[in-house]
Amino acid sequence: MQQFLQAAVIGVSLGAQYALLALGFTLIFGILGVVNFAHGGFYMLGGYVAYSCVSLLGLPYPLAVIGAVAATAALGWVFELYFLERLIDDHLATLMLTLGLYLVISTGSLTVFGPLAMEFHFPVTGAFHFGSIYVPKENLVVLVICLTALAALWAVLFRTDLGRGLRALADDRAVAMAQGMRPKLLFPAAFALATGLAGLTGALVTPILALSPGVGDPVLATSFLTVILGGLGSLGGAALAAFIVGMVEAYTSVYFGGSIGALVLFVLVLLLLVFRPTGLLGREVRGA
Amino acid sequence: MKHSRTPLAAVLTLFTPLALSIPLDLAATAAQAQSCEVKVGAMGPMSGGAAQWGLAMAGAAELAAAEVNAEGGIAIGGKKCKVVIVPYDSKYTADGAAAGSNALASQGIKVIIGPVGSPEATGIKPVAARNEQLAWNAAYAKNALEPKFPLMFHIAPGPGTWSDAMVKHALQSFPAIKSVALVAPNDQGGTDIASVDAVAYRNNGVTATEEYYQRGTTNFAPIITRLLANNPDAVDTASSPPGDAGVIVKQLRLAGFKGPIGRMGGPGTEEILRVCGGIDVLRDFYWFETVAETEKVRDIDNLYRKLVGKEPPGGTALWGNLPAARLTMKAIANAGTAEDASKVAAELRKLAVDDPNMGKGVWSGQKQYGINQELFFAFGVGIIKDGKNLGVTRMEPGT
Repeated sequence: MQQFLQAAVIGVSLGAQYALLALGFTLIFGILGVVNFAHGGFYMLGGYVAYSCVSLLGLPYPLAVIGAVAATAALGWVFELYFLERLIDDHLATLMLTLGLYLVISTGSLTVFGPLAMEFHFPVTGAFHFGSIYVPKENLVVLVICLTALAALWAVLFRTDLGRGLRALADDRAVAMAQGMRPKLLFPAAFALATGLAGLTGALVTPILALSPGVGDPVLATSFLTVILGGLGSLGGAALAAFIVGMVEAYTSVYFGGSIGALVLFVLVLLLLVFRPTGLLGREVRGA
Repeated sequence: MKHSRTPLAAVLTLFTPLALSIPLDLAATAAQAQSCEVKVGAMGPMSGGAAQWGLAMAGAAELAAAEVNAEGGIAIGGKKCKVVIVPYDSKYTADGAAAGSNALASQGIKVIIGPVGSPEATGIKPVAARNEQLAWNAAYAKNALEPKFPLMFHIAPGPGTWSDAMVKHALQSFPAIKSVALVAPNDQGGTDIASVDAVAYRNNGVTATEEYYQRGTTNFAPIITRLLANNPDAVDTASSPPGDAGVIVKQLRLAGFKGPIGRMGGPGTEEILRVCGGIDVLRDFYWFETVAETEKVRDIDNLYRKLVGKEPPGGTALWGNLPAARLTMKAIANAGTAEDASKVAAELRKLAVDDPNMGKGVWSGQKQYGINQELFFAFGVGIIKDGKNLGVTRMEPGT
């Protein structure tokens, strides 16, 4: 029973992190129709910016996190405006551009920071122990920030003109543009929002786990898996799928081991694609 | 007239370019002598989680080449040729190493320093044999060497050679260990090491269980929950990459595990310390150190700065790889070619294992692999107890 509860604690913690990543990933696909292969790169960059702010500039960690969000959002904005925008309807070109950006970010990080993991730690350490169940304090802090960020994202998308504009473009770009929506402003904004979320996750999670030039690779795989499960382009689906992935990963790894855990996740996605190709909450045709 | 001019024209046609070509050829030969180059490959993971090991492999090749070049180059066919290292990122994968062998072969490269990991060694062996290339792998795989691949050499022995001595030494420092859980990636780079380590533990009366994870795992909390369900006295991170091992240590301590943590696998203690949060978090730790550190061994880093002009890649892997690269340069010089791998291998086998920095070693491998093409120098066993680093004990070959 204790093992069961411990797995639940781990699953929720993993799910919150995956949700932040997957929401950004699916936001970009839903609004721009772009599969962002640089998403793991923005996660990694968020970690490195936060690390640089703390270690090189001596900033307090909360400011470093804000700096990481600002830097990754700014890079996302510039990249969308000057590179993606020109080829936005060419899916192969945008795929290659984002993949290229990921290679630039990862190789650049390797060149600047070296191949070794950085000495970068979360300011809050320790764990609450309830018998043999433990809840790391740092995970609790990250969980609260993640849930707040998710709520803020929901508010932006569903309670502001910006969000309404973004959703309108996602639903039907031609009609939205005819109504006065400006893709040249809204597309970079959506991309910046998504990359800022990836940067936020990187700044929060890398000091808990590890920060090295390879940390973006598994992030991309997990984000991709999560949004496919949730339905590409579906925000609610991504959030739901993130917690399902977190729980499945936690329970299968605890009860069947690390190898089987990864396998179960892929089998689950495979079965879903066979029986429900649009994912949990995805639609059959993307409007944009 | 026309008839008489034709032979003259023919003679001129034949001899003018020939006459012109003589000085041109001479000039080309002189230029070749000046720009004579010997290309040697360097292979290993140069990006991703194991990049430190691949960069150390390339660094060792670069340093050995820089030493030779500082003396004017390598003597081949009466000429002094500059050694140029051609690096290849094999990404710690079998297909990466196989592709690397082909890519280097396409440039006419027949001698390779590297690759590093077990998946890479598995990938490169048949392809390098087909390409008639000599290669050095640093893998701890059970089949790192095989008699059917006589052009493959091995940089350092695997756990089959040193794990028993390691366990005995660890048990002297941590006698309360009666059970251990080994954790490693679920590919050949993990299973070949952890399973051999487990046998060494069992042979010394310690109950050993093995737990494997998917390479690329970033959060080990579920695996740690599973590990700790068996209440092991110690956890051994075996050949988990140092970054992974650091996270495992951090999360083990967060979960309340207070026992010793071992590492009978690849190098990386510095990185583990950095990732986990320092020596107070690590607290009780025993590890296999590929190189028994001395002042002379540490000098390699300064030599690297001086000759290569860069900061060394960090860790001890550069030190461990350097003797193989140096011996290869000697073997190429003795063979008088870098294009005939069999000749270079024959010369390599004749060389005594005596490195200016690492000291004397031996050729080994006959017992474990059936082929005596493995370098074996003194290794070390490091101990951290109660948060204090007690240093690395030197263990001679055959200990």
